Amino acid sequence: MSLWINYLDQILLYAALALSLNLLLGYAGQVSVAHAAFGAVGGYTMAYTAQAHGWNFLLGTLLGMVLAFVIGTLVALPALKLSVEFLILLTLAVSSVILGLLVAIPEMGGTFGLINLAPANLFGWHLQQPEDWLLPAFAAMAIVYFICHRVGESPIGRVLKGIREDPVATQALGKNVLGYKVAVFGLTSALAAFAGAMLAGWLRLATPGVFGFSFSLTIFAVVIFGGMGNLAGSVLGAAIVVLLEPVLRRVVRLEAARASLVQLIVYGLALAILMRLRPQGALPEGFSPWRWLRGQPVPTARVEMVADWVPSTVQHVGKHEDTELPIAEEVRRERAWHDAPVVLRTTGISKRFGGIIAARDLDIELRRGTITALVGPNGAGKTTVFNLLTGAIAPDTGSILLGDQELVGLNPAQVARKGMVRSFQDVRLFNRLSCMQNVMLAVQEQAGENFATLAVAHRRVVQAEAATHAKALDWLSFVGMAEFADIPAGALSYGQTKLISLARVLATEADVLLLDEPASGIDTKWVDTMLDLIEQVRDQGRTVCVVEHNLHVVGRLADHTYFMELGEITAQGTIAELTNTPRLAEVYFGTG
Amino acid sequence: MLAISAETFRQLTVDGFFRGCSYGLLGVGFALILGVTGRFHFAYGFTYTLAAYLAFTFTFRVNWPFWPSALIGVLLTAVLGALIEAKVYRPLAANAGPTALLAVFVAALGIGIAGENLIRLLWGSETQAYFGPVKTSYTLWDATFLNFDVWQGASAIAITLALAAMLRYTALGRRIKATRINPDLARTIGIDANRTYVICFFLGTICVGVAAIWYGLKYTVDPGMGTLPVVYAFVVAFLGGTASSPIRVFLMGIVVALIEQYSSIWLSVRYTQTAVFVVLVGYLTYLAIKSSAFTARFKRMKAAGA
Repeated sequence: MSLWINYLDQILLYAALALSLNLLLGYAGQVSVAHAAFGAVGGYTMAYTAQAHGWNFLLGTLLGMVLAFVIGTLVALPALKLSVEFLILLTLAVSSVILGLLVAIPEMGGTFGLINLAPANLFGWHLQQPEDWLLPAFAAMAIVYFICHRVGESPIGRVLKGIREDPVATQALGKNVLGYKVAVFGLTSALAAFAGAMLAGWLRLATPGVFGFSFSLTIFAVVIFGGMGNLAGSVLGAAIVVLLEPVLRRVVRLEAARASLVQLIVYGLALAILMRLRPQGALPEGFSPWRWLRGQPVPTARVEMVADWVPSTVQHVGKHEDTELPIAEEVRRERAWHDAPVVLRTTGISKRFGGIIAARDLDIELRRGTITALVGPNGAGKTTVFNLLTGAIAPDTGSILLGDQELVGLNPAQVARKGMVRSFQDVRLFNRLSCMQNVMLAVQEQAGENFATLAVAHRRVVQAEAATHAKALDWLSFVGMAEFADIPAGALSYGQTKLISLARVLATEADVLLLDEPASGIDTKWVDTMLDLIEQVRDQGRTVCVVEHNLHVVGRLADHTYFMELGEITAQGTIAELTNTPRLAEVYFGTG
Repeated sequence: MLAISAETFRQLTVDGFFRGCSYGLLGVGFALILGVTGRFHFAYGFTYTLAAYLAFTFTFRVNWPFWPSALIGVLLTAVLGALIEAKVYRPLAANAGPTALLAVFVAALGIGIAGENLIRLLWGSETQAYFGPVKTSYTLWDATFLNFDVWQGASAIAITLALAAMLRYTALGRRIKATRINPDLARTIGIDANRTYVICFFLGTICVGVAAIWYGLKYTVDPGMGTLPVVYAFVVAFLGGTASSPIRVFLMGIVVALIEQYSSIWLSVRYTQTAVFVVLVGYLTYLAIKSSAFTARFKRMKAAGA
């Protein structure tokens, strides 16, 4: 019996470590193979302080967590701009450094590690037998589960998933991507140290072998088996990996040494096969075993492609019922543009990439309640203008004033928070998140996106979350996509993703919207819907700038048009004026 | 400065050079695989161990002569490497779409774990003595080295130069480079990217196999021997640049080994391995800072000041 309780302890402690890795790997999408090394920081700190200085188990654990938090935060800082390959390499190197140092420092017992630890003393209760450990191990697992759940299923968790799906789009919605990455790395490192200290306390030793690289891989395997982004899955995964060994020994009747080898072979092969057959793991993201047990419907992660369906709920506001001639309308709009107050003004913006001039002396004005269009041949630098305006690319010279605030030097997240948000030509929705989550992510200043608020004021977070949900639903309804709220963005048709993308931009409630080809590449039946929506946005008093190729679209939307060639603005005015310029007609519009 | 004799310095340099040839060869193979195919082939370490074990088995269990056994061991492993690409990674990547890198990494991890333990199960976990040709040592300018060192260095340099020449002068090399730059575009001009990938895995695994034979000959073979080489291969390939010439990657291997050797002048031997990783972490941090907006802002400030 005691033996099985020992396995249970082991499952709980492995689960604690795997849960913390899951928050990092499954939610935030950061691949770290250094997790056992952070566990080692906790385990060794606890073991060393207890053995050499007679510290209490809990005090040593706490110190280990602080150390791991500091190291984890420092590691995450360079991880800011690194791609997945480099992050794996970086964590591999960090893992090697930590383990290398532990082996090299004589006080840490060298290759033998710290062994024969006294039983952990928990408020006078000496934990000696496997039975004694059952409760503390369960508590440890529960604490880590609780923290990971609180963070993962909160607005922060939503931001983390956004970073996982598309960090650029997340940043463009005003989220401090670096801050979240660093915080989640630090947090999960501290949790790993906590689990590591518990593990060392249970084993009564801390050795390089226990926390070695292969243990990192085991924990990695636990998360993959259970399902990335599913916390209950990590507990299940721990049970599978740990119990494989006794099952092989008792059921298949292999001798101990062979059983542990076969166990590793089985789970190694299972990893490779699983990635092929069921990459989402035993319990996919979003699957709740509790709900399943209670017989409630479980949202499935994969849905069939939704048929291309044009929303019918869009209200068509009458603009064309007055029988003004089109040319008179154009003149009226151009006059309105000149009278409108300037919201954004750039002066002398230039950018060179080596010998290529991407932007030269751009002076652009965006005015309140109007739509400004940016047209020009491919490669003219239209999208580059958006990149420059939002801080994705820093200009070499020039100034960008939003109201009276200088935007040059700010990053895209800061620009978004100042009130200027862009959409992307390639849409960049968060494919594995529902449409609702996509739009909720865009809502600004959510109480639950702050770690401190999340920790102390849960009720406020819940209230704020309800408000965010309502807001997001409003915007989904505005674009006529409310019925699709629960469907993953990846299952939508192209035209539908463009609408969600518009809802996402609108939900930021930014004053200035930069829309990159909002109507291109979509079916003609969608174009009118999209244009109606953009006009409504303008009529709400927002400032809109569109990059567009389609002259029909520009003609209908634009109050003022800039014409760009090779990074320079060579003409501006109404679209009629531009199309009537003989030179432009020849080089771009076509004389036909 | 530290007091170190010229002899010690020369010995460290010679050791570093030969060790670097091994690191370089490992890096060249890994860079070829990762750079062209984009597969995060973490089972690279397993193929290293397997090559040594197969050669060992043919020599001591089947009683074949040493050199043919080594050759067959390396070639069989290379075939296995190609099979892993064709039968595991390719279908996986096609299935996983945008998350292919992580999927392949996890599968490679799984194969690595399963493979190492399969070796333990079949051959036992203990260290095996592996010997063939007679070991002789030479002394040159007060530095001693083995005939194995010379062979290792010579074969590593020969393979690297052959690969570089192949990439540069042959039609196959041009196909590989085209696939490395843009596999989809390569496909449109009739290059079979899948076949190119398989060839890269075959060639890359030959590199790792050769390195393993020399290591086994110089020391011993054991099931865990592949763990560290994969890490070095990884480091060298990245530092050298996975899309750069094999010669550059090879030289980076020698640089890494020399850093490791020279760090023993200042540090206790216990810390030398760690020193390499500290340098690596520093380098990655530097890369991150270089690519970030900080530098852009700094440049602009300078431009504004000027």
